Amino acid sequence: MEVMSIICILAGLFFLIVAAIGVIRLPDVFSRSHAVSLTDSLGAFLVLVGVALHEGLSPSMLKIIAVLALLYIQNPVIAHATVRAALRAGLKPWKKEAS
Amino acid sequence: MTNDSFPSGVRSRPISSQFLILKTTALFVLWILLSASFDWIHLGLGLVLSFTVAWVNSGHSPFVPKFRLWGNILFYLPWLFVKIVQSSLHVSKLILHPSLPIDPRLINVETNLGHHGAVVLLGNSITLTPGTITAEVDRNTLIVHALDEVSEQDVTSKSIESKIAAMFKDEEPDL
Repeated sequence: MEVMSIICILAGLFFLIVAAIGVIRLPDVFSRSHAVSLTDSLGAFLVLVGVALHEGLSPSMLKIIAVLALLYIQNPVIAHATVRAALRAGLKPWKKEAS
Repeated sequence: MTNDSFPSGVRSRPISSQFLILKTTALFVLWILLSASFDWIHLGLGLVLSFTVAWVNSGHSPFVPKFRLWGNILFYLPWLFVKIVQSSLHVSKLILHPSLPIDPRLINVETNLGHHGAVVLLGNSITLTPGTITAEVDRNTLIVHALDEVSEQDVTSKSIESKIAAMFKDEEPDL
């Protein structure tokens, strides 16, 4: 169990780092928001699952599950709001140059 | 309370006592699970609070539980999660690739779901899958930003939409 939780947390950290690299490397708001959505879809999920496994069956585990549910409900809403605001403010999405 | 604005004490919508009890019970169970303490102060406070919240909310809630639909959504979530994992791996690969082979585009997605809840679910599902984000929603039309060709196909292949349409086929269209 303990080993599983460590593996989960490490895998989650990997995705969080990849997302951070993505935010730096990608060219504009729109594509960067894809990298950010990577953090909550797998990064935070795996870290929280790891913590839940570490806690075992207890009230803390239920609270972590509640946090996960809220995360999955709220994050798409926030990501959508950000991207829509950028689009309405007139930002032009970055395009690959035709070669 | 909502009823104050109505003349001669007419209730806008009568409170269903059955529904009130159901809501109180649900909130109280949640309270017990989260507080995890069983002394009288906690239990009593929880009961009073969950009844108050249920009562305050019961006057203006058009919310009727649809167990069939919720069951369908419960089966839909694991399927969506598999898709999320697949596209997460794809996006990680794109980000870590030395030449950054992205080709972002905005695409128009026409749906014929015809239901508020269905469109919300579709938009949220698209945003949750890394590589695609719903940028704008207008009734049945969505504008989606996709990171590359493969991510775009998640949306244009309509696999998510057909799943949602199947879940909502018994619902009254309201869009």
